[in-house]
Amino acid sequence: MALKSTHGPFDGSMSIVYECPTCSVQTAMLTNRAETQMVRSLGVRIGGRTTPEEPMETLRSNLASVQEESPEGPPSGTGGKCPFTGMVNDAIGAAESEPKKPVWTAEALARIEAIPHYIRPMVKRNVESYAREQGYLEIDEDVMDAVRGSLGM
Amino acid sequence: MSGKGGVGKSTVTACLADGLTRLGVRTGVLDADLNGPCMARMMGVRDHKPSPKNGAMIAARNAYGVPVMSMDMFLPEDETPLVWEASSQQGAYTWRSMVEMSALRELLSDTDWGDLDVLLIDLPPGAERLQNLADLLPDLTGAIVVSTASQTAMTVVSRSILMALNVANVRIAGVVENMSTMICSECRCKEQMFIGTEAVEELAERHGVPYLGAIPFNVTLADFLETGRSYIEVHAGHPAANAILDVAQRVHFWLKNQSK
Ligand SMILES: Nc1ncnc2c1ncn2[C@@H]1O[C@H](COP(=O)(O)OP(=O)(O)OP(=O)(O)O)[C@@H](O)[C@H]1O
Ligand SMILES: [Mg+2]
Repeated sequence: MALKSTHGPFDGSMSIVYECPTCSVQTAMLTNRAETQMVRSLGVRIGGRTTPEEPMETLRSNLASVQEESPEGPPSGTGGKCPFTGMVNDAIGAAESEPKKPVWTAEALARIEAIPHYIRPMVKRNVESYAREQGYLEIDEDVMDAVRGSLGM
Repeated sequence: MSGKGGVGKSTVTACLADGLTRLGVRTGVLDADLNGPCMARMMGVRDHKPSPKNGAMIAARNAYGVPVMSMDMFLPEDETPLVWEASSQQGAYTWRSMVEMSALRELLSDTDWGDLDVLLIDLPPGAERLQNLADLLPDLTGAIVVSTASQTAMTVVSRSILMALNVANVRIAGVVENMSTMICSECRCKEQMFIGTEAVEELAERHGVPYLGAIPFNVTLADFLETGRSYIEVHAGHPAANAILDVAQRVHFWLKNQSK
C-alpha cells in the first residue's frame, strides 16, 4: 500500500487514502477529532528504539518547559516523528495558514457602517468571501463596487 | 480526595505523612496533582532535583525521611506552568489527558520509593483523577476524604464520595474534617470556623464511612510544613499536633483492618 492522498482536516477529522501499486485497490483511513489530535502529537520513531528506556521517559520528554532548557532532549519536529504524524501536521498546518482574512480600508469600513445594522454582517461576509475568491488582501471601495456589480445591485 | 478544591487535601496529606511516620508506618507521598503540584513544597523538598539511578527516579526524602515524588520537582521554577509538548496547544485535549495519565503512571511506577507500608497520594480537586488512579491501581486500598464544615464543600464532597463508592469502586477510609476550629496562637483558645459543629461527622455517618477526626486551622502550619520537619515532634503537646496524631491513629487502625 502506498500513500495516495490526504483529505482534511474537516472539523478535526481527516481521511488518508492508500493505494495498492499493483491492483490499484484503495483503502481509506478516517480519523475522528481525538484520533487526529493523538496522531498529530505522537512522538513515534520508526525502526524501534536504540537507547534503553529511561525512568519517567514520557513525563520528561513531553515537558515543554524542560525541552526548551535541554537542546539535546528527544528530537522534536516532524523529521524525527513517524511519517503519519508529519502528514497530519502538514495538512493541519496548510489548513490553518490558508484562509487569510482580507483587511478593510477605512473608507470601505465607513461604507459598510452606513448599511442598516441587521444586514451588515451578511454584507460584510459576502464582501470578504468575494475578496478571498478574487485573491484580494485588501478591501477598498473598488472591491465593494465590484461585489455590488457581481450581485447585480 | 475531595471533590472540592482548597479544603486542605494537600495539607492533610502532609500531616498524615507526619502522623503515620510517628506511628512507625513507613509512609511515602505521591503528588497526583500534576497541574497544581505542591507536595514537594509542603513536604519541605522543593529544591530536590530528581535523578535516575538503576532505572528508577530517586524520590526526595524530607527531614524525617518520608520519600516524596511530585511534578513540581520537574518544573524549573515555582511558577512554571505545566505544559506538555505538542505541535499545537490548541485542540490537544485528548493528547493532554493521555500524557497526564502516562505521567501519573510513571510517577507511581518509575520512582524508587524504598520500602513502604503506605503510599499517600494527594489528588487534585474533582473526582476524575480518583477514577484514573483506580484504573492504574486495581488494588488501591482506599480513599481518605477531606472536607471542611462549609455547606458548599460538603455538598461537593458528598457527590465525590458517592462517585468513589459507586463508580470507581474505591473503599473509603473515612472523612477528615479540616480547619474545624481556629486555635488562637496566644492563649490556645478554640474558635469555630464554620457553622455546624458536627456537620462533617454527620456527613460521614450519612454515607456509612468512618469519621477520622478534625484538624484545626493553624496560622503557622503552612510555613512550618515547608521546613520538612515533623510538626508532631516539634510542637508536641500542641492541640493541632494532638489532632494530627489522632487522625493518623484512626487511619492506621482502618489500614490494619484492611490488611486482615
Ligand atoms: N489546617 C490548616 N491550617 C492552616 N492552614 C491550612 C490548613 N489546611 C489548609 N490550610 C491552608 O489552606 C490552603 C489550601 O490548602 P491545601 O492546598 O492543602 O488545599 P487542597 O485541598 O490541597 O487544595 P487543591 O484543591 O488546590 O489541591 C493552603 O494555603 C494551606 O496552607
Ligand atoms: Mg492540593
